[in-house]
Amino acid sequence: MKTKEKNTWCPGCTNMSLLRSVQEALTELINENKIEKKNISIAADIGCFAKIFDYINVSGFCGLHGRTIPLCFGMKVGNPELTVLGFAGDGATYGEGISHLIHNCRFNADFTMVVANNKTFALTTGQATPTSEKGYKGASTPLGVGEDPMNPLALALMSGASFVARGNALNPVQLKNILKQAVEHKGFAFIDILQPCLTFNNFTPYLQKNAYEIGDDYNVKDLDQALKKSLEWNGSLSEDGKIPTGVFYKKEKPIFEEQWPQLKKPWYQVERNINQKENVKEFL
Amino acid sequence: MQKTILVGGKAGHGTAVTSHFIGKVFCSLGYYVFNYRDYPSLIRGGHNFNVLKISDKPIFSHDNKYDFIIALDQDTIDIHQDNLKPEGFVLGEEGLSGEKVINIDIKSILGKLDAPAIMENNILLGWVFKYFGVDKNVLFDKMAEKFKGDTLDLIKKSIEEGYELNEQKESIKSIGSPKYFISGNQGVSVGALNAGIDTYIAYPMTPATAVLHYLAAKQIDHNFLVLQPENEIGVVNAAMGSAFTGAKTMVGTSSGGLALMSETLSMTGISEVPLVAYLSQRTGPASGVPTYTAQSDLKMAVNIGHGEFPRIVVAPGDAREAIIRTQEAFYLALKYRTLSVIMTDKHVAESDYSFDDLEGSSLDNQRFIESNVSDDYKSYKITDNGISPVLVPGQGPVVRASSYEHNEYGNTIEDAETIKKMNDKRMKKGKHLKDEVDKLNPVSVYGEGENLIIGWGSTKGAILDSLPNLENYRFLQISYISPFPKEIVKEEIEKSKKIILVENNATGLLGDIIAEQTGHIIENKILRYDARPFVPSDIINKINK
Repeated sequence: MKTKEKNTWCPGCTNMSLLRSVQEALTELINENKIEKKNISIAADIGCFAKIFDYINVSGFCGLHGRTIPLCFGMKVGNPELTVLGFAGDGATYGEGISHLIHNCRFNADFTMVVANNKTFALTTGQATPTSEKGYKGASTPLGVGEDPMNPLALALMSGASFVARGNALNPVQLKNILKQAVEHKGFAFIDILQPCLTFNNFTPYLQKNAYEIGDDYNVKDLDQALKKSLEWNGSLSEDGKIPTGVFYKKEKPIFEEQWPQLKKPWYQVERNINQKENVKEFL
Repeated sequence: MQKTILVGGKAGHGTAVTSHFIGKVFCSLGYYVFNYRDYPSLIRGGHNFNVLKISDKPIFSHDNKYDFIIALDQDTIDIHQDNLKPEGFVLGEEGLSGEKVINIDIKSILGKLDAPAIMENNILLGWVFKYFGVDKNVLFDKMAEKFKGDTLDLIKKSIEEGYELNEQKESIKSIGSPKYFISGNQGVSVGALNAGIDTYIAYPMTPATAVLHYLAAKQIDHNFLVLQPENEIGVVNAAMGSAFTGAKTMVGTSSGGLALMSETLSMTGISEVPLVAYLSQRTGPASGVPTYTAQSDLKMAVNIGHGEFPRIVVAPGDAREAIIRTQEAFYLALKYRTLSVIMTDKHVAESDYSFDDLEGSSLDNQRFIESNVSDDYKSYKITDNGISPVLVPGQGPVVRASSYEHNEYGNTIEDAETIKKMNDKRMKKGKHLKDEVDKLNPVSVYGEGENLIIGWGSTKGAILDSLPNLENYRFLQISYISPFPKEIVKEEIEKSKKIILVENNATGLLGDIIAEQTGHIIENKILRYDARPFVPSDIINKINK
């Protein structure tokens, strides 16, 4: 699962823990014969978390800022047999590429989108993202952000996602479990991981104090309950609120790939018998 | 024999269908036909018209002098009657007025047949073909290819009524083998089918939308996939994901749509994941004139995407070329692992052309994916010609593509030595690509003469049809804009006396590219930039003046 590339995250970065959780989740799924390594294909873009692309030794495509989701979607369109996972940050997914998230919740193609949400643009030195809290000060917002942060979980639920979860970078055991469920889920699985940036937005103490795991008495198929759960925390890091973590919603729905009778196997394996004369017959 | 017919009416009147039908009938009788469509950006109302030019010799353009006008409303007469030829006439229902109008009591006939208003067109068709002396069974057979049952019966009755009203003036008989009748958009679609397309991904945008519709209708029978995602950026990134898995993938759009795809098209360059992009130009800038024509995006196509990388830009000049060039675009993109742009404009895309045959390209349809799988696979292996052997995910080895500069494995690097090596690798591909394009007839020369007209894309039709009326001129059509066939173009320019550039834009964009590539600045330009295509008389009058 590991490449030989040199890791360039900051010393002690919480992304290291995310990387381990992903590698462990995939390794366990392979050992349990649930997926095949040769069929894994990942996508990432640009940003601190997206560097994960260089550190996981599986097939994949590292694309453009904010475009991880359509890249994953396209891989499923090209080869429905692939196990596809996308990795990107909050700036890319909720800012630059937000339209793709909304529509892919609707499309429900069978892949997993993992967002590391550190509530800041870290790699570009700490500007505000759509999930930065009100009052967040960065080099581009010296007066502080004026708006309330976006609620990605509520958005995904309202947009029709069939699997919605929140992970906690400080809780790798839970995260590995969520990742395994997401990959096994048939349909679009969306995970927002709260991931403190030690350099530009270190909310580790807040997360340690306020995060809790959703308990066993929770029905993951209940959309109303999931919506309520998603509104429990307003994204603020200054008000004292409880942050639910775990799987909020999980329900099987028809997947995108099944709409297409012709989407049965990887296109590269399709052999065609092309009759050029027949193709122009209707114009005579 | 040569006839020019205008069919005009409001959007929703069926002017395009009626005009296309007349064209089809003449093609079936062995005549050559060119059909030009002119319509504003609205659904109902406005003024739509089609101009059909019919000839017993090959023809590639229309004209603005009409032998007769089929008027489905008063606007058609008011706008076009001044362009009737001296012996011309207008055909229309009772109540329409103007000079030389022959009125037909359509309402009574519709009442008698208990037929809806749209049957007017068929009554008029009956009248027209009686005039030409074409056997009505020829019309019935052509209608039976599209309609069935009660609708067909009613169409036949309507045609018969029109037929009865008129006297035969000419006797048009079959003069040869039937001709193919096909638009540029249909040509691009057929080219994609001939190339073995796996996925076509697009967002609707005139004048490229007809390809989306055509291919969507064919996807089940031909076993491929047609998708319309959320926006052009979603389109092109999904296309890259699809292409990465080894699917032959094409996107299609018009000018503004391609502009939106720009960043991702640059990614084809560095990731070396092959993509075919169909660009059908409209009149710009911005929303411009959505349903009208221009050749104003040449430099966008040649330069689209940041950074330096080799790419293919090919501009077919008619529907038959659209088939062949689309096949070439797939072949070259897949072989050289880069971007192919097929460029048309509204005029080529939506006009109907007629041909004796529609032979496609004989280039083979292989996927250029290796079947020998070795474990020490490198996605970006440096080779003599710059082309790395291709595997796709699922075959076994780890396969990586990246938008970042990368090492041979596809992992991110920033060191100077590897960056230079990877640039050299990509540019080496460009050199081999140029050698191959030089063998694909990147230019065509028509006619003889020491003076030279230079053009590209849709102006081919009007220029070709001008040549018989010009003394001592030949025509150089440049089809590959990238890689540019500079040696041949330079040679053609240097052996010519007078050189005239003909372009459907305001500044002469091809002229700039020729200057950049050959050092020759062309001073004489015939430019049209009112969103309308050239007709031969535009060129003949300017040159002979």
